[in-house]
Amino acid sequence: MLIRYSSLIMALILSGCTVKAVGDPNRPITINAHVTIDIKGLKDTASNIEDYVSGKEEKLPVKGQK
Amino acid sequence: MLRKTILSVMMVLMLSGVALAGYSIKSMTPEVKQALDGRKERFSELRALKMSGAIGENNRGYVEVLKGASNARSIASEENRDRKVIYQTIAEQNGLEGALSTIESAFAQVQADKASAGDKIQEANGSWTTK
Repeated sequence: MLIRYSSLIMALILSGCTVKAVGDPNRPITINAHVTIDIKGLKDTASNIEDYVSGKEEKLPVKGQK
Repeated sequence: MLRKTILSVMMVLMLSGVALAGYSIKSMTPEVKQALDGRKERFSELRALKMSGAIGENNRGYVEVLKGASNARSIASEENRDRKVIYQTIAEQNGLEGALSTIESAFAQVQADKASAGDKIQEANGSWTTK
């Protein structure tokens, strides 16, 4: 009984799961990922670099180097 | 309770992609070293051109020739080439490949903040002012 109905349910599910591509197949779909940027951190980095370039700071902090 | 709150805050920060460690040049590649050295070497010359009003800092993180000076154009071109290398390196090494314009804008704001009196600065609306 259960097997009979499960086959029917499976058939209905499968028939309802047709995936259709939407859009122009000649044009690729672009997914825009959301990235949050720490502007203050970026400005601190910029400030460090500009101080180094101007000679105000002798060394540029480079992470990962001794 | 406190542990739960800390974990929640950490989860939110991780999900929102906020970089807690800050951004930096993580690896000194030959290209970025050359760009930094080039900028250091021409700093005095660029400073003199800025003081004369021949070159100004635009709102996109680059220098711009504002009035004719014999060497202003070549200095500006070399300076902008080196700046581009630095901006692109920061983007590549910090996972900000799609945010080059944000990096350029952050540098522009810092350049404006650090500009000396008399320097030409381009405002956000595109107009030029003298600091």
